[in-house]
Order: sequence, then structure tokens, then C-alpha cells
Amino acid sequence: MEKVEHVLIVDDDRDIRELIATYLQKNGARVSKASGGREMWAALASEVPDIIVLDITMPGENGLALCRELRAGQWRTIPILMLTALSDETDRVVGLEVGADDYLVKPFAVRELLARIRAILRRARMVPAGFERAETPQFLLFGEWKLDTVGRHLIDCEGTMVALSGAEYRLLRVFVDHPQRVLTRDQLLNLTQGRQTEPFDRSIDLLVSRLRQRLKDGAKDPRYIKTLRNEGYVFSAAVTPQEGNQ
Amino acid sequence: VNVSSLLKGPRTLFLRLTLIFFAGLVAAQYLTFYATMAERNDVQTSFMISNIQREISTAVALLDRVPAAERPDWLPRLVRRNYGFILGPGVSGEAPDQKLSAEIGAAIEQSIGQRYPVVVNAVPGPTEHLQAHLKLSDGAPLTIDIRPVAKMPLSSWLPLVLGVQLVLLAACSWFAVSIATRPLNQLAHAAETLGPDMTATRLRESGPTEVARAAKAFNAMQDRIGMYMKERIQILAAISHDLQTPITRMRIRTDLLDDETERARFQQDLREMESLVREGVAYGRTLHGAAEVPRRIDPDALLESLVGDYEDAGAKVSLSGSIGTPIVTRPVALRRILANLLDNAIKFSGAGELTTDVSPDMRIAISVLDRGPGIPADQLEAVFQPFFRLDASGERSAGNGLGLAIARQLALAMNATLELKNRAGGGLEARLVLEKPA
Repeated sequence: MEKVEHVLIVDDDRDIRELIATYLQKNGARVSKASGGREMWAALASEVPDIIVLDITMPGENGLALCRELRAGQWRTIPILMLTALSDETDRVVGLEVGADDYLVKPFAVRELLARIRAILRRARMVPAGFERAETPQFLLFGEWKLDTVGRHLIDCEGTMVALSGAEYRLLRVFVDHPQRVLTRDQLLNLTQGRQTEPFDRSIDLLVSRLRQRLKDGAKDPRYIKTLRNEGYVFSAAVTPQEGNQ
Repeated sequence: VNVSSLLKGPRTLFLRLTLIFFAGLVAAQYLTFYATMAERNDVQTSFMISNIQREISTAVALLDRVPAAERPDWLPRLVRRNYGFILGPGVSGEAPDQKLSAEIGAAIEQSIGQRYPVVVNAVPGPTEHLQAHLKLSDGAPLTIDIRPVAKMPLSSWLPLVLGVQLVLLAACSWFAVSIATRPLNQLAHAAETLGPDMTATRLRESGPTEVARAAKAFNAMQDRIGMYMKERIQILAAISHDLQTPITRMRIRTDLLDDETERARFQQDLREMESLVREGVAYGRTLHGAAEVPRRIDPDALLESLVGDYEDAGAKVSLSGSIGTPIVTRPVALRRILANLLDNAIKFSGAGELTTDVSPDMRIAISVLDRGPGIPADQLEAVFQPFFRLDASGERSAGNGLGLAIARQLALAMNATLELKNRAGGGLEARLVLEKPA
């Protein structure tokens, strides 16, 4: 078992707060609770959690504002999982733009919440120590492609949108976030898994070939995702971030 | 040519009104012309008769005084446009039967009949012709030869003036009718554009009183409809928002339940409530419609990634065919339509099949096929209504009928058509035909 996670839950609904806490504690996590911004800052001052679960819709200072403040201040390296009440594209866009690591739409299954928390923590641990985490820019440029991290699709050099499935996007994000690094199949599986409660039954190799198809990248002489026999894959293109509205 | 349609007359109000106005004006014009001409003829005739009366009595008196030998010399001087004198008995015949000749005969008798007994008779011939016979004081016969001309010839410029008048009338009726019918067309256009997205064009509240009033009433009606729509969306959003928190609490409580069968049952109920709430919110949002900006996309990547998402979630969804060229459309709406159709296919048959079809004129059709129970033919259109359910015996009575309503609304907003039909061999085909590229 991994080290015990310390989760800070920020939600104005007492029942939800307590219920989540009960479930997470039953599953071996340590939990702190806050009903709003003031209690959250107080909790952070007394002990730094591994992850913050933050509700968007709260009276007073809402989750989006809190998230922005967290990302701007000394707590910017703590991963954040947003809980949103409305299933809407704009909420998702805003949630990720303000620097949340992931989001979950209410109502959700607590098992899903736990899986997401663990996935985020796994990803966070892969980031080298001392690495300054930055807000994810809206666009990541590589080769002739532009990856839109808000819309979760590719844009080619002519401006045509190329859609990605959820799994394809997650895999590409892992590659783009770790360019020029050898990633084993196990690592890729670990990093892409966790969004779904269902076991991830598609093999990484199949997913890579699907992604290559999207990138119009041949398997024989790939420009972006290179196969290293018996080792794994390497994303070989240079990645440049670009902010939105450009 | 269809005779009955000709009998019914032109279809447009514009043509009908123009024709009625024009016909009425032409008839009135003709009557005026006719009355003027009749009046003119009457005046002319009475003028001519009084002339004849006066001049003939003078001429006869003159000839009577002149010695018989000098009379022939005088004759040419006494000739007028429509009568002359003959020194002799002339031609005898029947009494004049024509009205004008009779009037002239009577007038001559009246003016000189007291001194000279006069006999008037018509002379047969192609034109009206009469003679009056009398004897002068010395017993010499005198014949007055009259060729009455009733009508003065028309001036040559008259037809031109009439023509110009006709053109003026036609132009005026066309103009008047177009003024009257233009607001109707604007009204129809505004009503047509009042689509599902409620971005209607406002009518200008100016112009003639009646038009301004109609425009004002129409705009007010648009506002009311917009308000009702907004209210409906707000209620939907409020209900679903307020439901989300209790459902979330219950979801987590069930996760903490120890009794596995109870937990599964609760969770199934909650899932149904949850999807209803989500679809309710989504349906409300589709009414805002045109919010998404159309953009160039690779449609094959969209279909393949959609199928990939379903496969990853463990659903049986397949794709055949490809479109092969970028298209301009609203990707989020398109994806949502297809996902709703696929969800339905999976719900009723356990699997869904996507096929594409590009016609030679670049019309793109995407179909979602299933081998489920299908829908009775008379209900194929009705299932697009929100919350529509087939009767209890229908296999498709399960589920909350919002998916198809959302798909139809989104298709409308992106100018696509969405239709359902039963497949040969069983099952349903939902066919989405995208707007033809310009």
C-alpha cells in the first residue's frame, strides 16, 4: 500500500463532506474538512494536505476563485480535484483553466472519487521534486500539431479540428507532458488509468496505434511516438506551450 | 396548363390585389371616356342641327329671291361640310328611318316648312344620306342634299394619352399593393426566423399605423415567447441544480451500504434520476442553440474517437464508411446528437452501428443503426417530443424520452435534418443529414 493520502475536502454541504470523509477514511485515507474558504485557509495553515477536493458551487467565495488563489500563492503545488454541480462544457473549461488537475461532476460515485484522487497523486509523484508546477496553457504545440487542452482535441496546420477519444487524449497528454522520456507500458498504463472505474482493458499498444492514426504518423517511421523495442515509447517532438486567445 | 389553377387566379396576394386594382381603374377609366364621348356627340349633333336650321332657312330665302338664271352661280357658295343644294327634283324615296336623319328632316321642316312645303326622304346608300325637296316661290324645284356626319374624328394624340394613363394606373396600383404587402412578407420572415434558438429578428415599429401596430404586437409576442422559453429553462436548471446535491448525498450513502443487493437497487434508481437531471439540463441548454461556433473538423476523427470512447466503456459500437474530407460544422453538437442516438441504440438493442454516406453532390449523411424492436410507423415523428413514451406495450417505453428531443433540437440549430425509420429486417435507423456545404 502506498503512503496514506491526506485529503482536504472543501464543500459547503455538511452531509456530502462527512459522507466523503467517512468513505475515504474507510479506505485508509486521512481527511481534513472545510466548509468554505476561511476554513480551508485555516486547515492549510495547520497542515499541508496531499490533495484538495474543492466544490465549485459554494456560497461566498466559490471554488473557482479559491482555486485561482491557491494556484497564485504558496500552495500552488498541491493538486486540486474540482467537484462541479453542473455538467457543462463551460464549467469544465473554467475548472481546468484555473489550474485544477481534474474535475468530477456531481453526482458521482465515491469509488470514482477515490480512483481519481489516487490517479492525480500518482501523476504528481512523477513530477520531479522541486519542479515548479505551472498552470496548464491552453495550447501545446508540437510538429505540425496544436493540442487544445481545454477542448481536448488536436488542431492541424490548416486549423481543422481533429477529435480525440478520452483515452487517446489522456495518452497524448502523458506523452506531451513527458517529451523525450522513455515511458514503459506500465508507466503509461498507470498514468492514463484512473479516470474510469472500469478496468482499462485496451492495451497500450492498440491505443498508441490509434493515436498515431490521429497524428497521421506511420508506424514504420514515426515522427512523434517512437517505439523502443522491449522498453516502451518515446515522444520525440519538442513541445511549446501557447496561451489561449492567439 | 392546369385549367383549374388558372380559374382560381394568381396565388399571391400581391398579384391578386394588383389585378383587382388595375381592372377597377381600367373600368372606371373606360366609363369616364364613354360618358365624355356620348356627351360630346350629343352637343355636336344639336350644334349641327341648329346650324342646319339657321343656315338652310337663310340659303333657301336667298335662292328664292335670286332670279332663276343666277341660282346655279350661288350654289357653290352655299355648300357646307355636310349639305349642299341641287336645283332639281332630286331622288325620291322612303321617309328617313335613321334617328339623326329624322331629326334633321324635322328641324328643316320646322324652320322652313311654314313657307315651303317640304318632303324629306332618305337616299339609299352605304352612308347616311337624305334629301329634302321643296318648291321655291316661282315653282322651281329645290333639293337639299344632306350627308349628316354625327361624329367628329378623334384626335390622333388621344390614344397616346390613354396609353400613358393606363401605364400610370398600372404603376400606381403596383406601388400601392407593394406597400400594402411588404409588411406581410417581413412578418412572415420574422416568424420563420423565430427558430429554436430564439434569436428572432425584430420588426421595425414604424410606417403606417396599422403596420406599426402589427409590428409592435409581433415584437411583444416574440418577447413573451422568449420569456416563457427562458422561464422554462430557468425552472429546468433550478430543479436539476437543486436535485444534484441530494442525489449526490444519496449516491455516497449507497456506496457506504453493506447490503449489496439493496445498494445495487438504490444505485440503479439514482442513476435513472441522475440521467434525467442531466438530460433536463442539456435539453434546456440546447434551446440556447446557436452558441457553438461552426468550425472546420475532420469528421472521420470525430466518429472514430466517439466509437473509441464507447468501446473503452465496454459498449458494442462499430463504424463503417468514411467521409474523407474536412467539413464545417458544430463538433460538440454533432457529437452529442450521435452519442444520444448511440445511447438509444445500445439501450434498445445492446449495440449500435455508425455508417456514413456521402452523396455525389457532397451531402453527408450519418446513420445510427440498431437491431432493436424499432418504433411503430405512426410514432416515428412523435418520439422526438420531450418526455414522449410509447404506450405501455411498446418495447421502448423504458427510459426518459429526452435524448431524441435534444438530438432533434441540436440538428435543427445546425440546419441538419434528423429522421427515424424502421429498417428492413428489424431495428431502427436514425439518419442525420448535414447541411450541404455552400
